[in-house]
Amino acid sequence: MLNFIFIRKLAVFFMMICPLAVYAEEQAASKPEAEEAVKPESFPPKDSPAAAIIRGETAFKRYCILCHGVNADGKGRAAKNYDPKPANLRASDKNTIYKTMIVTKGGAAMGRSAFMPQWSEELTKEQITDVVTYLNSIAEHPPKD
Amino acid sequence: MSKFFVLLLGVLASYSFAADFPVEQKNKAFTASSLKVKVGDTVTFKNVDAFNHNIFSLSDAKSFDLGSYPQGQSRSVTMDKPGTVEVECSIHPDMKMTIEVAK
Repeated sequence: MLNFIFIRKLAVFFMMICPLAVYAEEQAASKPEAEEAVKPESFPPKDSPAAAIIRGETAFKRYCILCHGVNADGKGRAAKNYDPKPANLRASDKNTIYKTMIVTKGGAAMGRSAFMPQWSEELTKEQITDVVTYLNSIAEHPPKD
Repeated sequence: MSKFFVLLLGVLASYSFAADFPVEQKNKAFTASSLKVKVGDTVTFKNVDAFNHNIFSLSDAKSFDLGSYPQGQSRSVTMDKPGTVEVECSIHPDMKMTIEVAK
């Protein structure tokens, strides 16, 4: 009789434990996938051109689209206020050094529109390089330098 | 001759009613987030930060760009139409303020 009670208790115990074990197994199986989605290896290395393009696009879309537009075609929402109109950066034939200088020093220093701000006061050198790298990546005729 | 003086007084009276509202650009923000002015009033923006600021608006009531200017300098704009004028800085996208212009 005592054995029967013990076996019944054991059976109840296993019935309770089994669903928990299955749940734990499912969680363990799904965990690697979740971790894989945010694995640092899935992002380009910090110093790679791919990373510079991502950072440059972010900076461009924060600081430049007002005038140059989200497509960098010179059709930003403020473009109507300016004469000369903001440059179509996709169609630009300027090289990397020129682009870096005009972003850094502003339009007036380069004999262009005085409405182009001197971005060295707001952006770091790395951010300016990133923005230029992004612009080169979307240019219709990427500079060869 | 008396008509001339009446006209002159009228012009002077209208000028005396126009006010100037100073706003500072400080710590990458406007010192006033909103302002109520009347048509004919002027708003003067003074840059007290150690770097350049810009002032522009694309609003129907007043569309302008006063350019970029360094610390210590000011730019003014006179409101000539009633409506809402949203003022921004093209260098610092988070800088925004609203001016309500009444008749």
